[in-house]
Amino acid sequence: MIGFDHVGVSYEGAATPVLRDVNLRIEEGELCLVIGHTGSGKSTLLAAVNGLVPYFTGGTLTGRVVVDGRDTAHFRPRELADVVGVVGQDPLAGFVTDTVEEELAYTMEQLAIDPAAMRTRLEETLDLLGIADLRSRALHTLSGGQQQRVAIGAALTAQPRILVLDEPTSALDPTSAEDVLATITRLVHDLGVTVVLAEHRLERVVPYADRVVYLPGDGTVTAGEPAAILARSAVAPPVVELGRLAGWDPLPLSVRDARRHASALRRQLPDTPPVSHRAAHAATGRLAAPPPAALTARGIIVRYGALIAVRDVDLTLRRGETTALMGRNGSGKSSLLWAMQGSGRRAAGRVSVAGAATDPAKLPAAEARHLVGLVPQTPADLLYLDTVAAELAEADRDARASADTGARARAILDDIAPGIAAGMHPRDLSAGQQLALVLAVQLTAAPAVILLDEPTRGLDYQAKAGLTGTLDRLAARGHAIVVATHDVEFATRGCDRVVVMAEGEIVADGPSATVLTASPTFAPQVAKILAPLPYLTVAQIAAALDQVAAP
Amino acid sequence: MSATGEPTIRTAIRIRPRSTITIAMASFLGFVAFLWPFVVPPGTFSSTETPPLIFGVLLALVLAVVFAEVADGGIDAKALAMLGVLSAINAALRPLGAGTAGIETVFFILVLAGRVYGAGFGFALGCTSLFASALLTGGVGPWMPYQMFGCAWVGMFAGLLPPLRGKAEIAMLAGYGALAGYLFGFMLNLSFWPFSLDPSSSIAYKPGLSFVEQWHRYLLFDVTTSLGWDTGRAITNIVAILLAGPAALAAFRRAARRANFRPAVTFHDREDLSPS
Amino acid sequence: MTGQAGQAGAGRGGAAGTGGLPAGRPGTAGTRGPPADRPGADEPHGGRRLPRALHPVAWWLWAIALATAASRTSNPLLLLLIFAVLGLVVAVRRTDAPWARAYRYYLFMALTIIAIRIVFRVVFESGVTPGDHILFRLPHIPTPSWYSGIQIGGPVSLEAVLSATLDGMRLACLLCCIGAANTLANPKRALRVLPGALYELGVAVTVALSVAPQLVESVQRVRRARRLRGAGGRGLRALRAIAIPVLHDALERSLLLAAGMDSRGYGRTGSATRASRRLTAALMLAGLAGLCIGAYGLLDSTVPHGLGIGGFAAGAALCVAGLALGGRRVSRSRYRPDPWRWPEWAVVGCAVVTAVVLCLNTGYNPAALNPALYPLHWPSLPLLPTVAILASALAAFAAPPPPATTILAGPRPAPRAGEMTLAGVRR
Repeated sequence: MIGFDHVGVSYEGAATPVLRDVNLRIEEGELCLVIGHTGSGKSTLLAAVNGLVPYFTGGTLTGRVVVDGRDTAHFRPRELADVVGVVGQDPLAGFVTDTVEEELAYTMEQLAIDPAAMRTRLEETLDLLGIADLRSRALHTLSGGQQQRVAIGAALTAQPRILVLDEPTSALDPTSAEDVLATITRLVHDLGVTVVLAEHRLERVVPYADRVVYLPGDGTVTAGEPAAILARSAVAPPVVELGRLAGWDPLPLSVRDARRHASALRRQLPDTPPVSHRAAHAATGRLAAPPPAALTARGIIVRYGALIAVRDVDLTLRRGETTALMGRNGSGKSSLLWAMQGSGRRAAGRVSVAGAATDPAKLPAAEARHLVGLVPQTPADLLYLDTVAAELAEADRDARASADTGARARAILDDIAPGIAAGMHPRDLSAGQQLALVLAVQLTAAPAVILLDEPTRGLDYQAKAGLTGTLDRLAARGHAIVVATHDVEFATRGCDRVVVMAEGEIVADGPSATVLTASPTFAPQVAKILAPLPYLTVAQIAAALDQVAAP
Repeated sequence: MSATGEPTIRTAIRIRPRSTITIAMASFLGFVAFLWPFVVPPGTFSSTETPPLIFGVLLALVLAVVFAEVADGGIDAKALAMLGVLSAINAALRPLGAGTAGIETVFFILVLAGRVYGAGFGFALGCTSLFASALLTGGVGPWMPYQMFGCAWVGMFAGLLPPLRGKAEIAMLAGYGALAGYLFGFMLNLSFWPFSLDPSSSIAYKPGLSFVEQWHRYLLFDVTTSLGWDTGRAITNIVAILLAGPAALAAFRRAARRANFRPAVTFHDREDLSPS
Repeated sequence: MTGQAGQAGAGRGGAAGTGGLPAGRPGTAGTRGPPADRPGADEPHGGRRLPRALHPVAWWLWAIALATAASRTSNPLLLLLIFAVLGLVVAVRRTDAPWARAYRYYLFMALTIIAIRIVFRVVFESGVTPGDHILFRLPHIPTPSWYSGIQIGGPVSLEAVLSATLDGMRLACLLCCIGAANTLANPKRALRVLPGALYELGVAVTVALSVAPQLVESVQRVRRARRLRGAGGRGLRALRAIAIPVLHDALERSLLLAAGMDSRGYGRTGSATRASRRLTAALMLAGLAGLCIGAYGLLDSTVPHGLGIGGFAAGAALCVAGLALGGRRVSRSRYRPDPWRWPEWAVVGCAVVTAVVLCLNTGYNPAALNPALYPLHWPSLPLLPTVAILASALAAFAAPPPPATTILAGPRPAPRAGEMTLAGVRR
């Protein structure tokens, strides 16, 4: 269906090609998963399928790409619209019209499909994606998952035989992401559509993949059976890491497969893990007395008109403790963070920060950020200058204007994410680097409490690991940290405590090991595989196996 | 543009010689349509209310032809999406200024975008911005062709300014913005002057007067009715361009580089291929 | 208010309000609040008709015809009648979309126009006739000699004020006709009737309409985030700190959008051949040249009159032909095109009747349309024009009730309470 024949891609003015000598054959009806780190050329590979590379981006394509018998050298992307449907990362940015129905019809209108046929096809697509009840809704009022399903629907109305999706869930919360991935797998099974999917939530898709294409980052591509490729790739979900560690063959790709293998391992392991799941950062958990409180919030209420977002919440944050704030979308996580910082709405309640006499909400914004720092969901909103250096200098100036903390933004940034060039445009940084820059800007004010709203959205495994390390170091220096996140694996590795919110209230609060293993749906993959043993990470198992083997 | 050592930014919309001729003729027609009370000899029209209507229809037709001509192969998806998004900004900005003493917020984007993306883009953006804004606010009417033409000119001439850089560029654009603010007001007032006043008023358009007398009457009308507004518009433009101009220009140029309008596309190893 | 109106509209998908007829949208039926129907649909003859949007062109033609009629008269009674007709139709047949709220601004503008005309007539007075009823005198300000013929101040007569008012009323009436069209016709649907040659214009505007609300959200988000860096949301520095991230956002969005449009088939070449494209270009160039000749004929009185008129006519014809042929360069089809059925004919027809009656000057005394101010007297109400204007009001009943608008007001949790009250009030 799709053939890459000695394909190389290089962009204008770039020293090295993005892709070199790629040979790839994707058969009809396959779900092909493309994996690799950010910047390894995944997007280029996907865009080459329908000719956006090089027609749209410019540059040189060597070799040839043949899609359903059409060579992209002879067919522009628009002439391939009836063969290849494309879905991007941010569905809202790709919408041309403003209602669901019009958006679904847009592609068909471009292809000049007869109005009667258009109507039937549109109704079918609405049902296929389960969005019939949304048909007359305005697109920007839909949730992320609904938007992404509309975007897939809009690509499908042209009845393409291939669907290319570039990280369709990276901007979504897990529930929406699951909706979207379930939709995609159903398309493969029910319609036989060939799907090429780049995704970094591997744990969700790997079980369904027929083929995995791995881009190690040097421009080459390795493709093959999922188990074979994942056995060697640098990016892998925990289940695969565990399989590799335990030497299981064939390598399990789903929790179900892994549990079949796991009974022997479970017998071998001690009943209690010898090390904490936060082994790298275990200092705080073992202290006899709890560390002093850094922030105490009492009776926080946030309301938007008739809607109550946060309902009488009490929360105490301790120094050196990283807390994960979890819960579905709209459960009040963001509102709580903003209310604690003092910038957001708050209908009632008090917040006191250790060492400060005043509630941050009563201070001017410039002083409140010395007490509590918040990194918003879209960090780029805070960046408005042309270079990283200018942003850092501005951060220093802002911080010194209200209270000289002695901290310098550049030093902090180099500590968090070394090697970000001063002359770079902040908008050209990767999502992880942007996050680091904004975090550095906020840390320049030396707040004792740091709140991060959904920082893991759009980060790959590597960037998430980097963020975990950064937060661990900050916690070790005595900062109290709260991370609002949906990512169970991240919460497992990076947080000491988990607070779960629902409908504006706190419904669970406790050490992450307890909260995360309490329910099977909320548990990390390793816990699911090894239940009832209370293991959470692959590192814990490795340590335990070492201990078993050592004596 | 490349004289300053920056990479050349290709204009977003390609203007062929044919399009240039079209725009030139359209501009001539535009001038006649706006300035007819002065340039058309008295006695040509029987009523003072028909010419604005006739010229309104004429301008709409002319704009349609120019847009169709420029669009024919000239507006690709990138330019069109940029046009749509910038029109959205303008359409969203426009109601902000309306009603507040002549604060005109549309010119800021129009001038800077015309400057960076070229005269053709500026012309098109002037048309689409006003059109989108009129549709959003329910302001479609016979005045629209005049407004669209006025804004199209503002955007187009911004794209034809000399290639300066740095502070000189900002100063030039601010000056242009102010001038455009006054001229736009002058022209737009002219479009409804002939019928908006009672003919017996001594500053109303009166067919048959000599050029000088007519000019006097109009100047007084313009000064009394809209000098304040036009000054407000000019000051808004200067302040906005001086303040946010450099950053916005940088943003536009960065976007142009990233968008890579009309990119160089090459395919290699083609000789050993046979069409499949 | 916005949200409430939209919400009440959204609830209208249900079946109960339309006399048990099957609802157009089974998905929404019964899931939202109680049905709140348009007043129009409650009337006996409207009850059996399904709500749908009248073709936007029909509303525009109706308004233009009515405006033509209004331009024929300065009889205040007839003009007031036209205002009444406009008011009735707008009240009964407008939706709750944002553009449909524009009518009040038009009314406000109309009043302003009348006021401006009176003020300027009074201040820049140009003499009075001997028999005038003088109301009062303004101090006369002498103007320099080079300001020949322009007088400021002086006596103000009742006749002058009345003449300014009546003329102003006519202009205001024309404006309100346009306002009514803007209010009644759905602009997004009107975009669909743009000729194929202006396809790009339509797409650009469609994109603008869909991106605008997202930009507003973007501004709000960035503004809120400003505080986190310790700066307020006001002042000139804040302007830049808010404008630049939003601009970057918008520009990045445009690139993503372009990629999406490209892969979804935007700009696929239509049936136009190379020759027909050349012919299109030639037609349009020749058309413009013709128009230029016509315009030149206006400027230079030595040019024969026929040449000028001929230039305009031929130029316009060639341009239209070029636009028509140019439409073939894109091939596309329309999803659910607006039908043109008997209500459209009826709406257009009734206003055309009005225009024709007021233009023909037969069957009544033509002087009654433009009553003289000398001598002053109360204007009469001629029968036939009155009936003709009332005919235009039939549009309110000929047009089907408008459908629910859910385009810009999506269901959000908050306005639920408002929905109930609004629905209750309507009942």
